Amino acid sequence: MSIKLSDALLKSVEKPSRYTGNEWNSVIKDPDSVDIRFAFCFPDTYEIGMSHLGMKILYHLLNEREDCYCERVFAPWTDMEVKMRENNIPLYALETKDAIRNFDFVGFTLQYEMSYTNIVNMLDLAGIPLTSEARVEGDVFVCAGGPCAYTPEPLADIVDFFMMGEGEEIINEVMDAYGKWKGTGQTRVAFLEEIVKIEGIYVPSFYYFSYNEDSTIKSFTPLKPQYPINIRKRIIKDMDKVYYPDKIVVPYTEIVHDRVMLEVFRGCSRGCRFCQAGFIYRPVREKSPERLMELAKKLEDSTGYEEISLTSLSTSDYTSLEVLTSRLLDEMEERRVNLSLPSLRIDSFSLDLMEKAHKVRKSGLTFAPEAGTQRLRDVINKGITEEDVLNAVSLAFNGGWNGVKLYFMIGLPTETLEDVEGIAELTHKVLAIYRKVQKKNGKGLNVNVSISSFVPKAFTPFQWEAQYSRQDLSERQMFLKDKIHSKQISYNYSDNKLGFMEAVFARGDRRICKVLIKAWELGCKFDGWGEHFKYDIWMKAFEECGVDPYFYATRKREYDEILPWDHIDVGVSKKYLINESKKAFEEKISLNCKVDCGGCGAAIFESGVCGGNDIG
Amino acid sequence: MLLYSKVVFVEVMTLANIRTKFRRGDEVKFISHLDLMKVFERAIRRARLPIVYSQGFNPHPGMVFGLPLSVGVTSDAEYGDFEVIDDELSVPEFMERLNAQLPQGVEITAAKQRQSKQNIMATIAASEYIVVVGTKSECNEKNLKVSIDKYLAQNEIIIEKRTKSGMKDTNIRDMIFDLDFELQPCGTYNIIKLTMLVSAGSKANLKPDLLIESLFGYLEFDFEIDRIHRTKLFVNAQDQLLDPMDGLVL
Repeated sequence: MSIKLSDALLKSVEKPSRYTGNEWNSVIKDPDSVDIRFAFCFPDTYEIGMSHLGMKILYHLLNEREDCYCERVFAPWTDMEVKMRENNIPLYALETKDAIRNFDFVGFTLQYEMSYTNIVNMLDLAGIPLTSEARVEGDVFVCAGGPCAYTPEPLADIVDFFMMGEGEEIINEVMDAYGKWKGTGQTRVAFLEEIVKIEGIYVPSFYYFSYNEDSTIKSFTPLKPQYPINIRKRIIKDMDKVYYPDKIVVPYTEIVHDRVMLEVFRGCSRGCRFCQAGFIYRPVREKSPERLMELAKKLEDSTGYEEISLTSLSTSDYTSLEVLTSRLLDEMEERRVNLSLPSLRIDSFSLDLMEKAHKVRKSGLTFAPEAGTQRLRDVINKGITEEDVLNAVSLAFNGGWNGVKLYFMIGLPTETLEDVEGIAELTHKVLAIYRKVQKKNGKGLNVNVSISSFVPKAFTPFQWEAQYSRQDLSERQMFLKDKIHSKQISYNYSDNKLGFMEAVFARGDRRICKVLIKAWELGCKFDGWGEHFKYDIWMKAFEECGVDPYFYATRKREYDEILPWDHIDVGVSKKYLINESKKAFEEKISLNCKVDCGGCGAAIFESGVCGGNDIG
Repeated sequence: MLLYSKVVFVEVMTLANIRTKFRRGDEVKFISHLDLMKVFERAIRRARLPIVYSQGFNPHPGMVFGLPLSVGVTSDAEYGDFEVIDDELSVPEFMERLNAQLPQGVEITAAKQRQSKQNIMATIAASEYIVVVGTKSECNEKNLKVSIDKYLAQNEIIIEKRTKSGMKDTNIRDMIFDLDFELQPCGTYNIIKLTMLVSAGSKANLKPDLLIESLFGYLEFDFEIDRIHRTKLFVNAQDQLLDPMDGLVL
C-alpha cells in the first residue's frame, strides 16, 4: 500500500521535493503488472545519489524489462528521518511511495566506505532485518554492487549477495534467475545457490574465514565444494553495443551533477599506484564518437538539460577527443547547451577547448601533481614532471586565468619531510610564474593548495602499506603550513579522523561488520558529512566489540599474507601488484599501458586496450 | 585596382511576446519558484521552441513569471511571459508544444499574444485564494459571520511580519479586499473554507497564511491549514483590477 505523506510533514522539512518523486522521465508502471520489484538504494542524499551515473544506467536498464519495476530510494536527511520515525513511516520508494520491505530486491550501490552506516540506517528505517542471518523466507533480498563491492567483507553479515563489476549484464542474469525461482516455493538458499553459478556473484554466507593467532587470516573456505573460490568481476566488452539510457530523470531540485553525463570510456591507462580506480576499472574501453554523438542528441532531446559533460577517469586520454568535442560544440551551440569538461589535463589544446566551450570563468584551473618532489612522483607513478606543471600553469596564466587549485597528498609511502616541503616549493614556483606574467593583467592570483591524507586501498600496489598515524599526518600538515609564505596561497587539509576510519573499512575483513552495526546503534550515520561524523563514538564501537582498528589502518602487511579480498578477482593479478609495489620502492616508473603493456592481467578480459590494436 | 565590396546581411528578427496562464497542481506544489523556472527552461529546450536569450556571459531565456507561489500552495492562476522569435510560430502551436514537454501538474491553460511592454511581474496587484482550514473550536454560520464582520470592521489589523531587519508590525486591513467563508461542520471538527481577495505584488503583498493566523487569533480559534489554492491573479491597469489575459492589459 502506498504511503501518504501529509503536506504538513513535507512543509516541515528542508527541500521536500527530494521526497516526492514524479520528476520528468521517472518511470511510471503499474506495480501489479510486474513480477519483480527492485528498490535501487543510494546510501546518501538525493542530491548525491541522483548524480550517480551507474544508478541512472541500471534504473532505466531494469525498467526496460517488462517483468521488473525498478524504483529509486535515497537516504532521507536527518530532519526527514525524525519525521518518518515519529509518524511510523517506513522507508519507501520514490515512484510508488510503497514500503520497500515488501519488494523483491533492495540493491545498494557502494561508492565510498563512509556511507555504510547509512545502509544500516536505511534497512532499519525500511523495517528489513539488518543481517542476512535474520532474514527469513519471504523477506526481501539485500544485494550490493559498485566499486566498494570489491572489498565486500565489512558488509558480509548484512548483504545477501554482491554483484562484482559492471552491472549491465549481470543484473539481468540475476533477474532472469529470480523470475524462474519466484513462485516455485523453493528456499532463499536455493536461489542464492542458483545465482552463485553466475560469474561475478559473491554470497558471503557461503564462505568461512579462519584466523591466525596474530589476527591475520588463516584460510578462506567455501562451505560446499561447488561454490567458486575465485569471484571474477564482470566487464562490458563492447562499449558501443552496451545499453545506455537515451533518457535520464531530470530532477526538480538542483543536484550535484545537474547535467547530461556522457561516459566516453571506462578504465584508465595511467597506472598511478595510489589510485584504486586506475586498477579496478581495467581495461580501458572507449565509446566511438559516433555513438557518443547519437547519445548526446537523444539525451538532449529527452532532458532539455543546459549542460553536457564528458565523464571518464581521464578525459584527455580519449583517443578521439578532438573530433568528439568539435562535433559536440557544433551541435550544442545551436541548442544553447554548454559543454563541461572536467578532468582535462591542461595543455594548449584543452585551454583552447575550454575557451570554446563557454561557461568558463577564468578563475580556477585544477592541477593534481599529488606529490611535491620528482622522487615521490616516481614512487607513486604519477607520470608528470615539475616542468609539465609549470609549463601548463604558464600557458594558463598567459591565457588570462588567475586561479589555480593544486591537489597533493601527504602520507604517501616513503615520504620524507623533504617531499612535504617540495609541495611548498612547487607552489611558490607557480606563484613566481604568475608574477612574471602579471604585467599583462593586473588581477590578483589565487592559489589554492588542497592536501589530502593518503588512504591505502585494496587492489593497488600500496595495499600492503601502513597508513601513517593521525599524529604523524597532523605534524606533516603543520610542517607544510609553516613552509607556505604567501597570502595569495590558501591552504586546506583534510580531517585525519575520517581518513583513518576510511582506511579501516577500505581494507577491513568480516570482523568489523559488527562494529559497523554497533556504531550505527550508538548513533553514527552520514559519516561522510563532517557535521555528522562522530569519531569518538566510532572508537567506542570498536572498543565495545573488542576490535582493534589500528590492525586494519596502520599495520604494514607482508606480501604473503591472505588479504580479505584475495578471493575477488578484478583482473589485475597479485603478482603484478607485488611487482609494482617493489618498483615503487625502487623509485622506478611504469609506462602508460597504451604505450607498453605491463602484463597486469586484465588481458583475460580480451577487450579494449588489451583486446587488440583498437581500443575503441 | 580591385574594388572590394562587402555585402552585409542584416538578419531582421521580429520578436513576439506570449502571455500564458498555467496551472500548478499537487504534483509540483513542493518545488521552489526557482526550480519551476528551470522546469520551463528545460521544457522549452526539449520542445525546441525559438525563445530569445539575453546577451552576455550567462545568457538567460526571455521569460518572466508572475508572483512566486509559496511552497505547498497550488494554483489555477499562474502567469508567465515568454519572448520568442516570431518565425511564424502561432500561439496555439507554442502552447501545444510546450504543454507536451511539461511535467504532470504543470499545464498551460491559455496563451495570448501580448503587445504591452509591461511584464507580468511588474503589474500584479491582487490575488484570490481559497484556504481550507480545520478547527476544533465550536462555531456556527451566524456567529462566525458576525465575528468576521467585526474583524473586518477594525480600522487597523496589526500583524507581525518578518522582514529583512527582523519582525515588524504591519497594518494589513487595507490589504484585504474581500473575505468570504463557507462552514462545513464535520462531527466534532469544523472545516471552514475561506475565499479571500488580498493585495499581491511588489508594492503590498499579503500571504494567505498570515491572514488566517491573524483572523483565527482574533476569533480565538485553534486552526490547522489544510490547503491553500490560488484561484485568480489580478493586475492593476487603468485603475482597475483586471485579469492578466484581458485585452485591455495585453
